[in-house]
Amino acid sequence: MTQPTNPYPFLDYLTRQMVKSWIALEKPRPIPWTPLSRPLQECTVALISTGAVALKTDVPFDQEGERQNPWWGDPSYRILPATATTEDVTVYHLHINTQFAAQDLNCLMPIQRLNELAESGEIGWAAPRHYSIMGYILRPRTLLETTAPAIIRHLHEDAVDVVVLIPA
Amino acid sequence: MGLVQREIEAVGFTTITLSGIPDFTASVSVPRVAGLLYPPGRPMGQPGDCAGQQAVLRATLQAVLEMEKPGEIRYLPFAWPEPARKTVTHPDVLPPIATYLRRHPWLYPKLLARDVPE
Repeated sequence: MTQPTNPYPFLDYLTRQMVKSWIALEKPRPIPWTPLSRPLQECTVALISTGAVALKTDVPFDQEGERQNPWWGDPSYRILPATATTEDVTVYHLHINTQFAAQDLNCLMPIQRLNELAESGEIGWAAPRHYSIMGYILRPRTLLETTAPAIIRHLHEDAVDVVVLIPA
Repeated sequence: MGLVQREIEAVGFTTITLSGIPDFTASVSVPRVAGLLYPPGRPMGQPGDCAGQQAVLRATLQAVLEMEKPGEIRYLPFAWPEPARKTVTHPDVLPPIATYLRRHPWLYPKLLARDVPE
């Protein structure tokens, strides 16, 4: 498929303006590239969602901090085990309508769908752990200097090959 | 998300972002983007639509296999099943920044310029 006529059908006017403005601020830079080293049927796949998804037993994402300072977003991450289901989690993102993920986590973070692909042999394995961050980080320093390296350590520990990132 | 994807790809993992705003994700020079114009909150499809979600995940992984050029956007062959005007896209309560900028509209240019106050 080619680029659609209206690239932002679901964004309100102000968000659309922000997206266009931020795209214009970017300059091309070298793109990192790791080719797939083996067939998908031999790969371990992990998921990362920006939905601010956390186990109910885990520390919540900091919504109050963002309410106090709307320019700030919680830059931390949470681990979701491959066994996590809709009933096990809460979605803390303040910028999306969370009612849909509350009905079915897989419309936001397809943990069960990935397990099914592993069971049917289309991929090698679903990673034992997946990750969520909060998708509203205007100043990404902590995200890039602390959170990303921590997630990368986990990905190495789990011998992950492919990471599918899913913005909320 | 694109910035995190860059970090992960750079240390030896193969990555793809499934994005509902693909040109935005691609603008920070990420290796692979699967473009799918689904609404915020439901990037994989409707709740309960296991087959639809599975098709999206499978197509995203298939794109990983097929994409050979860094920085490419691969649009997935699915369409949202209802008109955009009938689709719930926003939270019931406005995000804090939206409420704040309604009260302080003169600060909106700062958001556009990504000039974020300390």
